[in-house]
Formats: sequence, C-alpha cells, structure tokens
Amino acid sequence: MSRLTASWHKRAETLPWARAAGPTWLQIAAVVSIVGGVLAVTVVGLAIEESNSFIVYLAVVSAAVIALQLSGLGRWISETFTSHSRIAAVAGVAAAVAFPFTQGGSGYWVRVFASIGVFAVAALGLNVVVGLAGLLDLGYVAFFGVGAYTGALLGGARLGTIDVQLPFPAVVLIGGAVAAGVGVIIGAPTLRLRGDYLAIVTLGFGEIFRITVNNWTGLTRGPNGVAGIPDLVVGPFDFGERHELFGISLAGFTNYYFLEIVLLLGAILVFTRMDQSRIGRAWVAIREDETAAEAMGINTTRLKLLAFAIGAAMAGVAGTVNSHVTSQVSPDSYTFIESILLVAAVVLGGMGTVPGALLGSTLLFVIPEKLRAFQQSRLLLFGIALILIMRFRPQGLIPSRRRTRELQADDPSGGDGLGAPRAGPVPVE
Amino acid sequence: MSQFLQQFANGLVLGSTYALIALGYTMVYGIIQLINFAHGEIFMVGAFGGLATFSWIVPDGTPAPVALAMILVGAIVTSVLAAVLMERLAYRPLRNAPRLAPLITAIGVSIVLQEGVRLFYPGAKTALPFPRLISGESLSIGEVTIGRVALAQILTAAVLTVGLTLFIRRTRTGKAMRATAEDPQTAQLMGINVDRIIVITFVIGAALAAVAGVLQGMRFGQIDFRMGFLMGIKAFTAAVLGGVGNLAGAVLGGFLLGLVEVLATEYLPLGSAWKDVWAFVVLIGILVFRPSGLLGERVAAKV
Repeated sequence: MSRLTASWHKRAETLPWARAAGPTWLQIAAVVSIVGGVLAVTVVGLAIEESNSFIVYLAVVSAAVIALQLSGLGRWISETFTSHSRIAAVAGVAAAVAFPFTQGGSGYWVRVFASIGVFAVAALGLNVVVGLAGLLDLGYVAFFGVGAYTGALLGGARLGTIDVQLPFPAVVLIGGAVAAGVGVIIGAPTLRLRGDYLAIVTLGFGEIFRITVNNWTGLTRGPNGVAGIPDLVVGPFDFGERHELFGISLAGFTNYYFLEIVLLLGAILVFTRMDQSRIGRAWVAIREDETAAEAMGINTTRLKLLAFAIGAAMAGVAGTVNSHVTSQVSPDSYTFIESILLVAAVVLGGMGTVPGALLGSTLLFVIPEKLRAFQQSRLLLFGIALILIMRFRPQGLIPSRRRTRELQADDPSGGDGLGAPRAGPVPVE
Repeated sequence: MSQFLQQFANGLVLGSTYALIALGYTMVYGIIQLINFAHGEIFMVGAFGGLATFSWIVPDGTPAPVALAMILVGAIVTSVLAAVLMERLAYRPLRNAPRLAPLITAIGVSIVLQEGVRLFYPGAKTALPFPRLISGESLSIGEVTIGRVALAQILTAAVLTVGLTLFIRRTRTGKAMRATAEDPQTAQLMGINVDRIIVITFVIGAALAAVAGVLQGMRFGQIDFRMGFLMGIKAFTAAVLGGVGNLAGAVLGGFLLGLVEVLATEYLPLGSAWKDVWAFVVLIGILVFRPSGLLGERVAAKV
C-alpha cells in the first residue's frame, strides 16, 4: 500500500500540473470533504424559503468563494481536484446520488434538479459547438425540440399522431440521430459562414423550426402540442411510481433524477473525451483562427459539421428524455429566448468546460426558483448579467484551465474561449 | 393585375420600414464589423419615446403637424440616447475583444431594452394605442389604393436615404466615416477622432430607426415592446441581401425583402401562416449562395 502511495507521489511529481501541496491522503480527504461540503451548503441554501434570506445566503457563499480565491486556497483546491480528478468525480456522483435522500421525501427540488440535468446535457452539447468549436448557435433549442417531438411521437403519446410505442432506448437513440441529422442538414450549407453570420442563420433556423412545428398540424398537432406522453417503463421498472430505497420513500421524480445523472455522466464523458482528443484540439484551433487551422491541414468544414452534429445529438437525447418528464411538448417551449438561456448557461459558467456548463445551468434554474420576488424582472436581470459577464469576466465563472495556461502568455485575444478578435470582412468563400 | 399592383405597393411600404432600419445595421457593420443585434430594439424604443412625448409633453389641442414634429423629435432623442449609452457602456469596452463577445453583449442589450420598456413604461405589458396624426382619405393612384401614412413611409425612406447618401458623400464628417470604415487605424493617424465617428454612426442609425418606429406606430395605430425583435432580424436580412456595409444595398435589400414577403404571403399556398419564414429563407439563401449580397464586393479573408 505504501509503495503504491509512493509511486503515486512519484508520478504526481513528474507531471507538470502536480503543484498541489500536502500528502496524498490529505488531498483525497480534502477533495471528499469539499464535495460533501458543497452538497451540504446546497441543501442548506435550498431550504431557505424567503427571497431576502436567499440573497444574503448568495452573498455569503460568493464572499466565501472570493476569499478562498484571494487566499490562494482556491488555486490549491483546483489543483488538488485536477490531480485527483477520478476521486473528485466519484465523490461528485456520490453527492449527486445522495441529494434526494436529504430532501426528506419531498420531491420539489429533486424535480427542479431533474430539469437542471436535462438542461445541463443540452448545455454541454451547446458547449461543444460554442465553447470548443467557437460556433455561436442561436437556434440550438430547435435540436432539443426535434428530440422532444421524436420522443413524444414515437414514445406512445396518448394525444399523438403516430400510433407506435417503441421501447425507450430505441426512442432515445432515434431522437439523438434525428437531431444529429437535422444538425447536418442545417450545418452543411451554412458552416462556410463565419462568426456573426452563422449566429443569425442559426437563429433563423430556430425560428423556422418553431413556425414549422406550429403549422404542420398533421404531424405535430400544431399549437396544441403533443400531450399524454406516458411515463418511462424500462423492463419491469416504471419511472412514474414511488419506490422505496433503504426505507426512504422516494417520489416518482427521483427515478427521473437518477436517469438524468446517468445521462449527464454520459454527456460529460463524451465532452471530455472529445475535448482531450485530436478532434477537440482541432476545434480549438478552428475557434482561435480558422484560416491558420485550415493552413495546418485541418479539414475545417468537416470538423465544424461534426461539432454541430454531436452538439445536436446531445440536445436531441436530452429532448427525448425531457418529453417523458414533462409529459407534453408544444411549440412555445422552443422559442428564441430558450436558446439564449442555453447560451447564457454556457457563457456564465465558462465556455469549453464541464463544470462551467453544470454551474451555469444550475444557477440559471435555481436562482429564479428561489427569487420568486424578482420573477417579473428575471429576463431583465439576465440581460444585464450577459452584458456584465462579457465586459468583466468573458471567460466565465469557471474558466477553462487548459486555455488559460495555453494562451495567457502574450496573446491578448486568447484564453477566454471566445475565438480570435474580429478582423476584416467576415464572410469568406 | 390590379391586385398584383396593390400587393406590390404594400410590399414597397413594408420595405421602406426595413430599409430605414437596415441603414443603421449596415452603417454600424461597415464601421466596426458588429452585427448590432439590439438595433431592432432601438426602433422600438423610438416608437415608445414618441408615444411618451405625445402623452406627457405635447399639450392637448396642438395642431397635428406640430404634434407630429414634436413626437418625431422626442422619438429621435430617446433612440439616440439609448444608442449612445449602449455604445458607450456595452460595445466600446469590447472594441478589441474576441468576436463572440460583442455579439453576446448585443443580445444582452436587446433583452435589457425590451424588458426595460415592458417593466418600466406604464402599461407596456400589452400593446399601447399610438396617435394617428396623419389622417385623411386613402389616395388612389390608378387601381392602387394607398394610405396616407403608408405614402409618408415611402417618401420618408426615399428622402432620408438621399439625404444620408449626400451627407456621407459630401460632408467632412461623411468623409471621415468612409475613412474609418476603410481602415480605422490609418484614419486615426490622419487625425480623425475614430471614437467620435463611431458614436455619430450609432446616432444616425438610431435617428433613422426612431423615424421608422413613429411611422410604423401611426400606420398600425398601436405599438408593443416586442415589435423590434423580428423587425430587427428582418432589417438585418435586408442589409445582408443588399450587401452589408453598402448604403444603396441596404435600401434595395429593404424594398426587395418587403416585396418578397408580401408577394409570397399573397401568392404561395399557406403563405400567411409562413409569413415570418420568408425573410429567413431569403437570408439563408443569400448567405449560402452570395454572402457578399447583391451590391457588396467580394472580399477574401485577411490573415
């Protein structure tokens, strides 16, 4: 055992990122207790009923985080987490699984977090497109909608138009595949465009999707939407029922919550593997300077198309599952503002990172739930937040470590994951 | 045939609004290569500024032409103020930022303006009635009937376009604008205050949008905080159609898009249900097949 620890030490010292101080057992204990602490702080925060108290809570938590950062502990923590990323991941999953048991049988926050899970999967997909490949997609929610409608129509909706009910795994795969197909169809002609133009065209496609769904009553029942989507049943397990576990009765939503965790893990795996692969590096190269990337022999069109398809597929899968969670789909759920919410989640958390997308999604869901008093001005605050983030912290709350290290040297444009500065005319053949 | 001519005229009226807004897009893009997403909201803010002037400043019993002039001034002042603040607080700090940053900021500004009006303008959560200050019988030209406000929209667009073109071609400021669009660094070396030129560009764009907003309000008799968003996207389409950065192109694009929209709605099956789709179809088609637009020059990437 001690030899094993010693070899860990040795390995750790030879790696460039191993600047984290302290013996390994202390680091592991720190990782586990920090993850536990985050869970505890979250549970405490969610239990606060009143808006003003919650604002105080937010202020205290933010102050604590800033204090950690200033004292240098934040840096130690983030390095420790990097060098024990597996333990951190296991602890994180354990904390997520433990969460419903802290709610004393109430399903309210479990339900909210199940929605956050769906949203986060889509945000991760968008993060592939925006964060890694640098393609701003303002109609991304359309892919989510394609998945949701596929899930609804093939999943045996009571008020549907197609009389089939395929098994859930098949529906998920089809939903993802259809969304990816739509992504390719949209991407193929438009990905030659750069930057701002692509953003407007994707916005246009998003609107076209919504209007099509609204008008194609034969398939989508138009504005009425498809309703009566049944609860998932996989084998003998009915997701809609209450189940007992360790003597604690868990609301029906807990099943979906656990399903979301599994999905999210899958999405995180896809994202990180992509990010660390040759493909991920090619995307980053395209994002930073497309012309240079092309000159280096990167097939930019194909890789951009791949980013689009993968992002779309992730949104499609999330949409498919979500249609069963919400039990109905209608065109109003796929408006421009929903796409903007997704972009905001990615931007707020930090472009191109997994924790960024997760944190961004969580904040965007939990804060409006908690600050009901500000329900009316939610969007206004949200617009102000977008402006302020771009002005003062464009890299987001959790910046991408790789990028900060790679690009901070003397390149004023780099490191924030937003691509190269605008230069010269934009549309290029 | 007479119905076609009538629809053609309607298309021109719609197009004149697009043209006025598209001019603002195209000028700003020409100078700082920014798609000012929030420009459609500047149009909306102008309409609300005009309504506010009418409700709270114009005394009862003011003759219509005087009231109209006051409303126009109020609208222009409001829009210009919004645009200058927007440039100063949101865009200027990001002048050298990566390309996605100003675009995301522009979306933020757009949301802030919309929600600001919805929350803080009294009663703006639903559509508000707008005074119809140009009244009188519709005019008949041959077989075509055209309302007086509609005619005013076309004439205003024409006059302002000609005025703007002369301003940019003939005046010193116009020359400075052209120089800045060509090459900001060199322009600065030649003693041009680039920051000032950029602000002037935003101001002119905002003023044109404000006039369009007031005319639009008078024609439909009501305004709504949501009126700017789709209008902005369509005007942007018009600017792209004509060739972004090109004034004549923006006007041509505006009129063409208005015609396409009206005629497609009238003559294609299910046209009206798909009314808002045609602009996007045109936009995508143009960007895919001729990204430099009808009048734009084809340019290669600068490395």
